[in-house]
Amino acid sequence: MTIATGAPALPRAGLTRQAAGLRLVWLHLLSRRVPVALIALAVCGAVLRAALVWHWGPGSGNAALQLPALFEIGTAAVIAVTTYSPFGEPERATGRWLPWLRLGTALGLTAAAIGLLGAGAAGESLPGGILAIVRNVAGAAGIGLLLAAVIGGALAWIGPMAYLVIAEVALLQAWTSPWTWPARPPHDRGAAICAALVFAAGITITAVRGARDSAGD
Amino acid sequence: MTTASISLRARVPRVRARPLAAAGRLLRLELRRNPMVWLLLPLGALMGFSPYQVSMEYAPVWNLRASVMLDHFLPLVAFGAGAAAWMGSREARRRTTDMVTTTPRPGWARKLATCAATTCWMLVAYACLVALLYGVTARQATWGGPVWWPVAVGGASLAVSCALGFAAGMFIPSRFTVPLAALAVGMAALMGVSHSTNPYALLSGADGIPPSDIGVFYRNPPDLAVIQLMFLIGLGIAAAGALGLPASSGGPWLRRSAAAVTVVGLAAAGTAVGLTGTASVRPTGVVIPALHDAAGDGPIGYTPACSGVVCIHPAFRAYLADLVTAFDPVLSEVAGLPGAPARADQIASSDAGDVGALISGSPAVFRFALPATSHSFIGDLDTTLVTLFIGGQPAAKGNGGTPAQQAVESGLLTAAGVQGADSAALSQASPAISHAAARFAALSRVARRTWLATYLPALRAGHITLVEVP
Repeated sequence: MTIATGAPALPRAGLTRQAAGLRLVWLHLLSRRVPVALIALAVCGAVLRAALVWHWGPGSGNAALQLPALFEIGTAAVIAVTTYSPFGEPERATGRWLPWLRLGTALGLTAAAIGLLGAGAAGESLPGGILAIVRNVAGAAGIGLLLAAVIGGALAWIGPMAYLVIAEVALLQAWTSPWTWPARPPHDRGAAICAALVFAAGITITAVRGARDSAGD
Repeated sequence: MTTASISLRARVPRVRARPLAAAGRLLRLELRRNPMVWLLLPLGALMGFSPYQVSMEYAPVWNLRASVMLDHFLPLVAFGAGAAAWMGSREARRRTTDMVTTTPRPGWARKLATCAATTCWMLVAYACLVALLYGVTARQATWGGPVWWPVAVGGASLAVSCALGFAAGMFIPSRFTVPLAALAVGMAALMGVSHSTNPYALLSGADGIPPSDIGVFYRNPPDLAVIQLMFLIGLGIAAAGALGLPASSGGPWLRRSAAAVTVVGLAAAGTAVGLTGTASVRPTGVVIPALHDAAGDGPIGYTPACSGVVCIHPAFRAYLADLVTAFDPVLSEVAGLPGAPARADQIASSDAGDVGALISGSPAVFRFALPATSHSFIGDLDTTLVTLFIGGQPAAKGNGGTPAQQAVESGLLTAAGVQGADSAALSQASPAISHAAARFAALSRVARRTWLATYLPALRAGHITLVEVP
């Protein structure tokens, strides 16, 4: 009897687990407002395209890199604020897969930001090209993710915005430090390593510990 | 019960009789509870980084440093818009909208107080930046006094970015509003940097770094600053009025007042946009015919600061010793030759042409303008002097003239002991030119002068070939 009832139940249980897994992922993405984030990233890509087509930014020299840097760092700020969780402690206490969900969300959004900005710049002469987009978005997102672990996801936008100030000066004064990667050429190995380190640190800490719960502003 | 009723009745009229005091108290509360207080320190550090540090790398000329400060405002206005958007979404974020709607103060007044407090803290940080920048400039400047139009435009830019960010946060209370508001305001500021393609981008405060002598030789007309202020204040008023438009902001008359304020603000901004269409960009600044006072267009009188044969404007007195050190060897190397400048005078960059320098007059005088930054400009100027003397304006505009002219220019600079005589243009010269230049520099001073005295007209005319250079 047990075998008879259990045998057909096995595939159904597997299906349920898979469906439950998908539902868990979907609910996690919803709780982080990922669909809205994707729309925001798409808007950034569209505005970048408009800015390139109608030449809204400075046209030559290092100043021309200000325009892509603004969008790359802006999208990083969007990624950073998705780490905010409305559930806090209960979610951490019950969510066994939470680190993997956080990791997947941050990686997926970073890839989406790179893809959407790249699509926005497709066919136009974007200073720095796609390599610079990959490096700058990843590095700035790493700063945002690191700050999310320190001061909370809702305020994590402060990190990329503060880095924007440094990047702007570095661009206009042609700094050579690899830590100011938006001012370095796209093939600069040191800048790529620095950005990758910051991204790896940010995504690891945020995935393992999550964004800090902030009670107030 | 009776006592309580009496007590309540006694309090209500007192509060209603002093609405401004209540608004002041609300503002004080918001100032104390505003998270911008905690952001002041990092914001101050960022302001010290840029625009303060960047401004200090330019000559201590009041107009120049103020313009550089405004040109590096992009991250600050973006930051201000983000912070204000964060505050604008506070009630929705904390889910207290229903609770605060029941308070006696109108929603518009409540939101204006929060917006004003955020703006106040941004302006406090900005005032500290201006005080530091102008305080240090006052100690370094050798001519003129502080200019306040750019300071006002900078303050208005910050206030408007806060008002717009706050409105965005209030109307779209999402976690993504903050970065997107910052991005939008940053983009608007960035558009001002590329104003050459669109005159309306002049409305942005960040309209490029002007020549170093802006407002030194000729008065810099305040027309553009007036228009920018009108546009920014109009936008700020419109954003503040828009905060009172939702139904939760107050009664019908209050919302009508808010609508009227919004319309007035938009009208002011629209007028500024219309006037900008009539702007003409002149070497001394932007002129708006409807606002321009032509009486102040003439040159500003001054007594030049001179040392030996070099004279400059007193605003640049700090560079006089370096200029004398740079010009003296070059001038003595060519002294007495036909058309050789006997002295060097600074002129306005608007009078210096494309090259930024010219040799004119009888006896000839080398007239030069100082570039915006102090980085290696002296090396450029002595190279320009020699290039103008040998090859004239076409050579100075191009790559130094014919191969023979380039070789002689390089040889003269080397003989005069100019550091880095193989400047950018000359360093790209062919080995043959470099070899001829070294040969010419190795001649004795008498031999060089004798050859130049004989062949200078032919060299200038381009009739001397490289092999004919001794």
